[in-house]
Amino acid sequence: MSEKPARAIKLNVINEPKENYKGGPSSLCPGCGHDQISNVIITAAWENGIEPHRIAKMSGIGCSSKTPAYYLGQSHGFNTVHGRMPSVTTGAYAINKDLLYLGVSGDGDSASIGIGQLIHAIRRNMDMVYIIENNGVYGLTKGQYSATADIGSKKKKGKPNETQPIDLCALAINLGCTFVARSFSGSKKQLTSLIKAAMSHKGFALIDVISPCVTFNNNDESMRSYGYVKDNEVTLHMADYIPHFEPVTEVEIPEGHFTDITLHDGSTIRLETISDSHDPSDAMAALTALHQAEVGKKHVTGLLYFDSSKPSLAEDLGLVSTPLLDVDASDLRPSEDMLKQMNSEFLGR
Amino acid sequence: MDTIVNDFTINIATANGTGSQSANLILLQSLFDMGVPVSGKNLFPSNISGLPTWYIVRLSDQGYQAPGDRTHVQVLVNKATWEEDLASLEPGSVVVWNTDSKMPMDRTDVFSYPVPMTKLARSLSPKLAKLVTNIVYVGVLAEILGITDEALHKAVEGQFKGKASAIELNKTALELGRNHAKENYTKGDPYVVEERPIEKDRFFFEGNEAVALGCIFGGVQLLAWYPITPSSSVAEGIIGWIPRLRTNDEGEANCAVIQAEDELAAAGMIIGAGWAGGRGMTATSGPGISLMQEFIGLAYFAEVPCVFWDVNRVGPSTGLPTRTQQSDLAMLYEGSHGDTQHIVIMPGTVEECFEFGWKAFDISERYQTPVFGLSDLDLGMNRWACEGFTYPDTPMDRGKTIREKDVFEAMENFGRYRDVDGDGIPYRTLPGSGMAPILYRGTGHNPDGVYSEKPDDYFNLMARLKDKINRARDDLPAPILREEVEGEIGVVYFGSMENTIQEIDDMLEATGIKVSQCRVRSLPIHSEVESFIRRHKTTIVLEINRDGQLWGILRRELPNDIVSQVHSVAYSDGMPPRARIYADLILETIKEASQ
Repeated sequence: MSEKPARAIKLNVINEPKENYKGGPSSLCPGCGHDQISNVIITAAWENGIEPHRIAKMSGIGCSSKTPAYYLGQSHGFNTVHGRMPSVTTGAYAINKDLLYLGVSGDGDSASIGIGQLIHAIRRNMDMVYIIENNGVYGLTKGQYSATADIGSKKKKGKPNETQPIDLCALAINLGCTFVARSFSGSKKQLTSLIKAAMSHKGFALIDVISPCVTFNNNDESMRSYGYVKDNEVTLHMADYIPHFEPVTEVEIPEGHFTDITLHDGSTIRLETISDSHDPSDAMAALTALHQAEVGKKHVTGLLYFDSSKPSLAEDLGLVSTPLLDVDASDLRPSEDMLKQMNSEFLGR
Repeated sequence: MDTIVNDFTINIATANGTGSQSANLILLQSLFDMGVPVSGKNLFPSNISGLPTWYIVRLSDQGYQAPGDRTHVQVLVNKATWEEDLASLEPGSVVVWNTDSKMPMDRTDVFSYPVPMTKLARSLSPKLAKLVTNIVYVGVLAEILGITDEALHKAVEGQFKGKASAIELNKTALELGRNHAKENYTKGDPYVVEERPIEKDRFFFEGNEAVALGCIFGGVQLLAWYPITPSSSVAEGIIGWIPRLRTNDEGEANCAVIQAEDELAAAGMIIGAGWAGGRGMTATSGPGISLMQEFIGLAYFAEVPCVFWDVNRVGPSTGLPTRTQQSDLAMLYEGSHGDTQHIVIMPGTVEECFEFGWKAFDISERYQTPVFGLSDLDLGMNRWACEGFTYPDTPMDRGKTIREKDVFEAMENFGRYRDVDGDGIPYRTLPGSGMAPILYRGTGHNPDGVYSEKPDDYFNLMARLKDKINRARDDLPAPILREEVEGEIGVVYFGSMENTIQEIDDMLEATGIKVSQCRVRSLPIHSEVESFIRRHKTTIVLEINRDGQLWGILRRELPNDIVSQVHSVAYSDGMPPRARIYADLILETIKEASQ
């Protein structure tokens, strides 16, 4: 009897199997939207052909911030303190600007305790992907409202939320964030395209992903429940990411109107417009879309805003082209002669 | 009348923001260049312009650098403090006062030198009269006290390097002041400046500037900071040196500088830098350290190297932001919640500020833990005589960081937090290296760096961390000892008290008590400190704070049999330490201890 031929393992462009992008088993609640996002991150990194060890996984504290253990097991990561992941990432980036910094955060992290750090990382246009797994609720502490909870949102016990929510996408656009998108943990295809594009973006790429909490915030009156989002999602466009190693001309051109946005590494995000034609370079249009969605109690998803013209933090720092990590000790410490010369200058001053 | 030569204190009362600082520095520098042992203290308000400020210049052939117990020569320019300053003078003092201020000068028991400072200044430059006024009083003082033109001119040229018109204006203003004094007064007071031979080449330098230069020679790769008095000049010093010392011909730097949004972010950034394998540091003061507490615990627990410089000001809370104190020691030593213990190094001279500046990085990377440099406003922001900086005598110590794959592969039993060598210090690999990736965390972890709540894992980890820091103690800067052969009394102190200790010592000796000195330069306490205490019947721990923080640490950590020998003298009123106050308190304490 002949042996069955082993099934060929599918490899990506750098000959890595998808297995090498996976992490440990999740300890989140079964059915959690966050786990879907983790899977999308694995797919996006694998399909983008990024060497897994060249990614740095960054997070704060909360359910979302635990997820770096569940993807990219070959990457170093740092599960920092509550809301302060942007600063740790900024410091690491100053030392090694050649890594891909992939931050995952939640709405407690990003809209409350760490909103200041988020704002300043955006302001610096730090090179990083910043994914917010947004469920409107504090899960690990058992269901308190977060700052993104909608008015009228109801906990299992207690009063409905009456405090105005913060829309992190609108905030980011107003701050001049250079890549702002919203998606839904259940929209695998759109989210994959957005994360892949964000990974190719040079600058701060924020993706606010509505990720229903199956335990504390999945009642249908919540705008962040699975059922609600499925029924009330307005897709701005279908996004299709074309990596730089696949020339655009070889890709099948979709039907209808589309816009190509070229990212810094030569890859392209192709937006096929299915609603009114949204121009992602138009901040006012993006804010209008967000406002209309809010009025209509809907979520608008897709790439809302994009700007490739702003320098990122790397340019602002004015550093040598080698990552500082690899600068020789002899260059880091000035010479003995230099100190002698300075001592004599001090004497003369 | 007998003259009093090079042994008196000048107090100059002006308002903040009037440009008096540059005039006062010219006075200080010219005395220094005449070989007179001199020190200057700037007592300034937390304000940009208008509030009172005093500059105290102490001349002392004995080399005493504290402000002294009283003012001998008072310059009165500021109306706001005029009456109070005047009233506080002892009979026989000198008063140089601005007659144009229209303030009363009713003391008849002092040597009065009235000067129409504003009129003289206006005659020279109506536009710059306010600035010139300050130089005029320096000219008057020069004539009364005997400061040479040569020294004054050199100081002016140094102060306004290359600015020909400013040099000219200041020299003319000095001349105006000097001529006014020549024409109008006969010297009646006893205070005289005499030139002294210059035995050693020395220059003036601020502690903060020296820390900054030390950090540059320590290979700092990221400075992340948030402005706060009195530490900002550390950061600004580094920023100032980078173009010359850490930038290539293309104008590209190998040290990043980020002005953070707050102190929390600054702490986060330097931890990120240390995690990525670089040398990150921040400079701050007590309020900043308070804000950084959570991150300090993370760096300790996740074992990430990073360097914090704390230039101590007066607390608690906003306290007295422009006054000096040694009150952050306990907070630094045990920063953050949970059981922690941190390495603290405390320079007492500008030379040490430089040395500890570069050393802090080596210690931090060697022990994979945050290191705190503790200075204070007095040491950091005043100018001190410096004999020059010594080049680092050891190459940079990057610690147990594995950078090569073959080294990693040859290692047996690697785990990020496994004590392979039995010295408490594990090995680490860096992000991007592809070697032994782990998720760093502030949560409990096992030797492999994996989340763990197992009792043994937690207990062993905490025990190893304690052991690691404990082993560092004798590797840290040893105490400086000045021992009397038959001394029964020892004085333990740290930091900027160095500049007052000799005067205190001489005051005690004048009462017949000889004391030995032990300047502690690091925490955890070096073993030589314990042996010093054992060699003395009674030890006084001398500190510029209320509670005796170093004393508290010693009491807890010394063996029980010597704890009762250790007594606290702690005093702080915001001012730089005045020898008399501490000497009297020590005498009192010795008396109580012997009863």
